Amino acid sequence: MKKNILQAYKQAPWRVQLQYIGLFLLGLVLVSAIMGVYLSISSQAATAGRRIQGLEDDMDEINNEIAALTTTLAEKTSTKAMQTRAEAMGFKLMNVNQAVYLEIPGFNPNEDLVLAPPRVNVVVEAPILREAYRTTLWDWFMEQIWDVSTGFSQDDQEVSP
Amino acid sequence: MNPPFYRRYVIITIICAILATAVVIQMVRINYTTYANDLIAVSANYQGIQTIIYPARGTIYDRSGHILATNKIGYEVGIDLKLVSDPESIASAAADLSETLDYATVFEIANKEKLETGENRYFVLTSYVSEEKIIALMELNETYKARRLETNSGTPNLNGLVWYPMQQRAYPEGSLASNVLGFYNYFSRESAQGVHGVEEAYNHLLTGLPQKVFLPNDPYLVEALPNADPGANLILTIDREIQMMLEETLSGAIEWSGAENGTIIVADPETGEILGMASTPSFDPNHYENYLITFPGNTPYNRAIGTTYEPGSVFKVITMAAALDTGVVDPTTVYNDASGVFWVDGLPIYNWDGGAWGEQTMLGCMQHSLNVCLAHVAVDELGQDLFYQYLQAFGFGRSTGIDLSGEANFPLRLPSDNQWVKLDLATNSFGQGIAVTPIQMVTAISAIANEGKMMTPHVVKSVQEGDDQIQFTPQVISSPVSAETAQTLTEMLTISLEEEASTALVPGYRVAGKTGTGEIPTEFGYTTNQTNASFVGWGPSDDPKFIVYVWLEKPTISQWGSEVAAPVFHDVVEQLVVLMRIPPDNVRLGSNQ
Repeated sequence: MKKNILQAYKQAPWRVQLQYIGLFLLGLVLVSAIMGVYLSISSQAATAGRRIQGLEDDMDEINNEIAALTTTLAEKTSTKAMQTRAEAMGFKLMNVNQAVYLEIPGFNPNEDLVLAPPRVNVVVEAPILREAYRTTLWDWFMEQIWDVSTGFSQDDQEVSP
Repeated sequence: MNPPFYRRYVIITIICAILATAVVIQMVRINYTTYANDLIAVSANYQGIQTIIYPARGTIYDRSGHILATNKIGYEVGIDLKLVSDPESIASAAADLSETLDYATVFEIANKEKLETGENRYFVLTSYVSEEKIIALMELNETYKARRLETNSGTPNLNGLVWYPMQQRAYPEGSLASNVLGFYNYFSRESAQGVHGVEEAYNHLLTGLPQKVFLPNDPYLVEALPNADPGANLILTIDREIQMMLEETLSGAIEWSGAENGTIIVADPETGEILGMASTPSFDPNHYENYLITFPGNTPYNRAIGTTYEPGSVFKVITMAAALDTGVVDPTTVYNDASGVFWVDGLPIYNWDGGAWGEQTMLGCMQHSLNVCLAHVAVDELGQDLFYQYLQAFGFGRSTGIDLSGEANFPLRLPSDNQWVKLDLATNSFGQGIAVTPIQMVTAISAIANEGKMMTPHVVKSVQEGDDQIQFTPQVISSPVSAETAQTLTEMLTISLEEEASTALVPGYRVAGKTGTGEIPTEFGYTTNQTNASFVGWGPSDDPKFIVYVWLEKPTISQWGSEVAAPVFHDVVEQLVVLMRIPPDNVRLGSNQ
């Protein structure tokens, strides 16, 4: 009579231990990787925060410097300062009899001071149909992808030194 | 059977569990303890600072773009309590930074952390400290540092006394146009605001919108600060060259005439733009702490708009304009001043010299400034209804609406008022018994120089806000007389000056004008030897580009406007035509033809 013999197999204990160790190390590597990424992002965020504060301070400093320089310039070109300088250079105030008038076509001595363009009424053309009714699903999908990718690239630009 | 080291594992596990439980219990306990709120409040102080961002105040330019008011660097000085270790030295150093600070106050603040835990850790001591004072503080800090090294001790030191730059108002032209500009009262940053003049009238535009922000210490929470848009910039109608000329001329005129005070206004009658406005007293707004010294009591900041007075004969221009416009007289109408007196309700009106001038045309009446003639025109020709209708049409009795703060107005006494008597009609006709401001006179008489159209006087030409510039359009208040009347009266007053050989005349230029000598009312009646001398004139007569009003208060050299104010008008116009680039009539009319 023929006997059916079943061979029982079992992993060697050292192999099992090795697998456990491997799994543990894999978990450790994953956790370390996540922690590393987290730390990296955190440090970048903190650096960006400090950088924002630094840039705000720089802006304040520059604005103050501009204000100080503007005041200095205004003081140096004030009426009295200019008159004193002109007199020191030998100029004298002209009287009515010394004035010679020439007609210069196109010259307007009383032209209005322009610091900025005049305010204009901008007519905004509002579309009759909303965007949602005019876009195909594919267009919308591509647009979302485009928006997300541009958002990422802009973030990168802002963070990079 | 338990594996080896089983008990050790169990013990370690139990210890860890106990520790974790203790931590959790402590966390819960801290949150529910009675000190929790205090701890949270204290921690809030370390999370950051709540502060207000003040946008830069707008710049004020003259009409050519020269800066009249701008900002420079000042400093905010405060105490950072967590760094303070020597409150005595801080109190001693900071006590002199501002008039509001003293040793005791600063010491109390600097010592606060030791006294009261939980206090805010940053205190603002004072704002707008000058750069010089900050440099002195820095030098003191260095001296203390050297002394500490020498003595090898921790005191004296200024640790915790901090300063931050900020913007502070500056007036690069000093006192020039200060009566028009007003000043910025930055005594306290929170309550700082414009006072008087343009600074007050346009405070809302110049200030911008302060923003309250939280500045966190945690870098993860830091965000870009919101944009605090700076205040709007103002471009004035004032020309700084003209303004300086007016102020110098006025100063010279007051010195020469012995007048107590004075005012000169130059305006463009076509647009109502004020080209220059000088008034006394004036001061340097960079040192506005001297305000009460320069303007004690009820002294008006700008007499040109803030003081009413009886103008005298310059007012005859208004009476004659009304009479010509209604057609009751024309320039050739003759009035016979036989007695030199005009009776109203049994009361006499006399001429300025008390004499009788015989037959006079209306031109002669204006030329010789005859009170009797003008009283006759108002009482007998115009009548009370028409006369006061015209006065109201010329804007008397109400503000002109000039865009400066502090405009005064004296109500016009009308026939419908109980206090009005018929004598008022007669005296009002030559500028007595009626109170006006110089700017009211300029506005009203501008109508004669501008074909009958009266323009709103204004000092702001345009406003620049953000990327836009908004131009102010000249506005017509009313048209009290016709263009024909205005031209006729201008010609009459031009001829009257020429025939009189007035000291107001400027060679090469035809100008129209009228003198005024107003008696000053007191509680005992009108004064006899103290007067208000004035002159109003405009030119060139054929196409007026300027109107000049001169008022000298109580001159001592002479009481007559023709002798005191007319020469000042001459001096002003002689320089004004050069500054405004107005050629003499022969050149101008020759080139136009």
